[in-house]
Amino acid sequence: MSGGHDDDDAGHGHGNQSRFIQHHYDDAQHQFDSGKFGIWLFLAQEVLFFSALFVAYVLYRVHHPEIYSYAHKWLDVKYGAINTGVLIFSSLTAAWAVRAAQLAQRTLLIACLATTILCACAFLGIKYIEYSHKIHEHILFGHYFDPCISPGGEELLTKNNKCPGTKGSVTWDYVAVNPDNSVGKALEGCFDAAKLDQDLKLSGVQADCQVETVKIEMKGDKEVEVGAPTPITNQCADELLVVLNGNRGMEGTGKELEKEAAPKFPCWRPAYQPAVCPTTTTLDQHTHGVGDKPQVGILVEYGDHEEREDIKVKAKCKDAVPPPPIDPIAKAAEQKKEQLGTKAIHPIHVPTTHEEHEIESLGPPPEHTGMFFTIYFAMTGLHGVHVLVGILVFLWLLVRAIKGHFTPDYFGPVDFAALYWHIVDLIWIFLFPLLYLIH
Amino acid sequence: MADHAEHHDDHDHGDAHGDAHGISHVATIKTLVGTGGTLLFLTVVTVLATKIDFGANINLAIAMVIAVTKATLVVLFFMHLRYDRLFHTVVFVSAICAASLFVGFTLMDSSQYQHTNIWHPSEPPAAPVGPRPTG
Amino acid sequence: MATTATTAIPESLKNLPQGPVKEPDFLHVTKGWKSWAFTLDHKRIGMMYLFGILFSLLLGGTFALLLRTELWSPGKTIVGADTYNQFFTLHGAVMVFLVIIPGIPAALGNIIMPIQLGAPDVAFPRLNLSSFYLWVSGATLLVLTIPFGGLDTGWTLYTPYSLETKTAVMVATMGVFLLGFSSIFTGLNFLVTIHKFRPQGMGWFQLPLNIWAIYGTAIMQVLATPVLGITVLLLTVERFGHIGIFDPTLGGDPVLFQHFFWFYSHPAVYIMIIPGMGVVSELISTYARKPIFGYRFVAYSSLSLALLSFLVWGHHMFVSGQSRLANMVFSALTFTVGIPSAIKVFNWVATLYKGDIRLKTGMLYALSFLLLFTIGGLTGLFLGILSVDVHLHDTYFVVAHFHYVMMGSTLVAFLGALHHWWPKFTGKMYNESLGRMCAIGVFIGFNTTFLPQFVMGARGMPRRYWDYDPQYQVFHQISTIGAFILGISLFITVVYLMASFWTGPKASRNPWGGSSLEWQAPTPPTLYNFETPPIVHELYNYDDLVEVAEDRWERLSEATENQSAAPVAAGDKEHH
Repeated sequence: MSGGHDDDDAGHGHGNQSRFIQHHYDDAQHQFDSGKFGIWLFLAQEVLFFSALFVAYVLYRVHHPEIYSYAHKWLDVKYGAINTGVLIFSSLTAAWAVRAAQLAQRTLLIACLATTILCACAFLGIKYIEYSHKIHEHILFGHYFDPCISPGGEELLTKNNKCPGTKGSVTWDYVAVNPDNSVGKALEGCFDAAKLDQDLKLSGVQADCQVETVKIEMKGDKEVEVGAPTPITNQCADELLVVLNGNRGMEGTGKELEKEAAPKFPCWRPAYQPAVCPTTTTLDQHTHGVGDKPQVGILVEYGDHEEREDIKVKAKCKDAVPPPPIDPIAKAAEQKKEQLGTKAIHPIHVPTTHEEHEIESLGPPPEHTGMFFTIYFAMTGLHGVHVLVGILVFLWLLVRAIKGHFTPDYFGPVDFAALYWHIVDLIWIFLFPLLYLIH
Repeated sequence: MADHAEHHDDHDHGDAHGDAHGISHVATIKTLVGTGGTLLFLTVVTVLATKIDFGANINLAIAMVIAVTKATLVVLFFMHLRYDRLFHTVVFVSAICAASLFVGFTLMDSSQYQHTNIWHPSEPPAAPVGPRPTG
Repeated sequence: MATTATTAIPESLKNLPQGPVKEPDFLHVTKGWKSWAFTLDHKRIGMMYLFGILFSLLLGGTFALLLRTELWSPGKTIVGADTYNQFFTLHGAVMVFLVIIPGIPAALGNIIMPIQLGAPDVAFPRLNLSSFYLWVSGATLLVLTIPFGGLDTGWTLYTPYSLETKTAVMVATMGVFLLGFSSIFTGLNFLVTIHKFRPQGMGWFQLPLNIWAIYGTAIMQVLATPVLGITVLLLTVERFGHIGIFDPTLGGDPVLFQHFFWFYSHPAVYIMIIPGMGVVSELISTYARKPIFGYRFVAYSSLSLALLSFLVWGHHMFVSGQSRLANMVFSALTFTVGIPSAIKVFNWVATLYKGDIRLKTGMLYALSFLLLFTIGGLTGLFLGILSVDVHLHDTYFVVAHFHYVMMGSTLVAFLGALHHWWPKFTGKMYNESLGRMCAIGVFIGFNTTFLPQFVMGARGMPRRYWDYDPQYQVFHQISTIGAFILGISLFITVVYLMASFWTGPKASRNPWGGSSLEWQAPTPPTLYNFETPPIVHELYNYDDLVEVAEDRWERLSEATENQSAAPVAAGDKEHH
């Protein structure tokens, strides 16, 4: 027996039992049997504690299989399998620790406990890698599900990036009032800031809306507000043209503009106010005023040729009307109608860390795919909390083992903690195929 | 005091089998390593099985059969239920039954749900035509 | 039949010690607040629970009186509608989670059960203390909801409102989470104690029915309460992090919350009532001087109720959008769950037949229980009928039903048990006349409060409504008057019980002539309950017991020098 007699509490012999046998028990066997029964009851309640999440899983999988078959591809089977192996191995070392305690093999007991703890830490480490990747990619639960890249590597429309594959988006943050007092919509549009001097055609602007200020948000810079010396009134019922000009001042606008000395960038000047609104959208024709609708152009100039990401141009109307209160039913209906998630750009090969098979065009995620991740994070999160608690318990056992508390007639804590650890392993044995190995 | 002290020295060397005299059964190294190895092997099998497409439901069934097998091995050997009081098995199985009941009844309910038509007050649905549904 | 003729009583019986002889009793063995705060003695832990529970009863009762006052007239009487919502929610939450669920098991079960079992303590004393502190923490959080914004969702916390309301839902749910674990650990502790700490000679069918009841309750506590834990955890996380599991706009399902909630809360109502039934078995047997009729049936019915209780939760959801199939299945199963309860009631009534009935306070409460539980149970059956429930759901009929079973039965049993065992663990006798008077006051007050509610509910008065049609006013007024009678009786009960601590006469070892083991322990018991090992006599056999003096019974066999039954040796436990 290795190191079994390091302490005076290795109670063999009549009446000389471990000091850890409590007074209200007859003997060590009584205490052990009671403790064993107690821990099995605790494990029974642990099963029920997780059961509600399994109910949710089963329900949503049965009723929305398309969500599961799409969403699980965001999970990396490799990490899941490694975690499964790690946990199985730690279960082995935990069971072996019990054996070592029963046989008074103190060194082996300490080694097994330490290995179990290390494996558990490795499990949490891999979980950390998985979670941080998902957090970074906004592949989160419920309300926060907003991934930018599909499992096939395609970029997706997100709440923050309505124009994936492009470098900028435009949001008009005003709402104008129609002559009939109905409220207009906020406008959005996409443009490719990689190409400068690009036109932006935004429709739905109300007539007689006076645009006073333009706010320009560029990624990495603060929001800059640029005001026109005089407000520009949109005289056309439909169109408001925004021209983004990468500097060169007047060049490319095709229309003579006032030359200003060293304008501060970004700046905005009205491009033109033709008397007639053009129907076409090419710059040339705009500048020539071809067409029958007058247009207002807002020329946004910024001081260099750099591509800016996520440029937002916001126009503020005088007397802006606050948007109507959010109607949850309408919001839900609108979300259905919104093109979020349905407009995936052509596949771009963006190397992602988790996809190793061929890039396939998967299309956008189905509606409410966030629910899969709600269940994923709830189940793996709760499981992870249990792993953490297990680590703390095993650390406590390790300390006690080093102090030599455990003897062949008193090893209950090791046995019971190992049983807890096996339940943690057992739950993962089910979580792995249910979450990672969906076909 | 119950007296089992003198039996310990006979049974605590490496190859302990079902130990009626010690506090509890000691697992053999063969059992532990064998169970651990089988579990790791089954893990590999279950991952490989997903590469072959038998159809969504069959794949799920295969994965669940393997998972249940692994779970049974863990419970029987790592958790010693094979050598323990039958009552502890009753406790564990009761918990599984209660959880299954929970899943089963809830699924029975939700599987009977019919389509819900969500509409906005500004766009009410058309009046239904035909006999009143009985479902 | 017990002999009461004083001529037959040997002199030696009159001089037997009533309290402990060799060591101090458990109340005085150590002193100072730390000896109570860090105690491992199940009796002290039980007493601390008892004080917490009685305080919570007064708090929940205050909310009840406030809401009943508001309902005196339609529209605003004393408070507005939002405040009224908070009153009934807090009344429900405090009563359910702090009083009725822990009530009998945690307080009286802790104090009495190990003694009744003949054990020195529960299996896991440190876990027991932890359970108590979990209760205290949970109770603190639940009470803290009041200053932090209150709670107005109804005690059932249904989504989607509980996700949107600005009140302190998360504080309450975290409190409920802790209370849930307190309950789980108590149940776990009791199960192991009952299995492993029975003395020699006490097999399963020699267990007092009180212990069978605690056993059945403990099974439910361990298996059902974790589902409450995960449910409130999910509710908290959903509220905080919008995970979407109960929110339809994110793909979730609010009715799923109801499934989760009621999977626990239905067994919970049996966790509430079964200990009460166990107590009633003891009270009726002792005060009628007769063994319980059909002991095995009563014992098995506790177990079968524990198991059947898991099959009927959907009957709370008949009108929530549950499918027709599930409705039918749950309704059919609900009828079966009434059978074990009925078996018990028949057996208790049969026990009373030709019994030698003593109308002590405990017995008055037990008799009240019989009537009130019958009414409560039968009205539950009405609600289990699908077509009837469509009309009665969420009306005052439901309110009256559950008050009959939770208050008219469980609380009444709790009070009966409190009076029955009060002499044993405090060592003092309460004032019997006040006891009987308040028992009658509780009975009258209770029925005045809740009988009209059945009528109102059947006539359509919805529950949880602040305002109502004038046609219901007279019922509400009668109900409010009854509530005050009830409240006053309860308040006086608590007062005279507390007063007896200091001014009550000393109690004898066996004031009521009970036959179970706790009456062999000294009054009050010593730290490890018994000075001499208890003798396991035949269960519910009162032939041997004689009333030596007023409220003092002794066993005739103790008068003899040679004891016929062998005492239990310290190491001999039946543990299987």
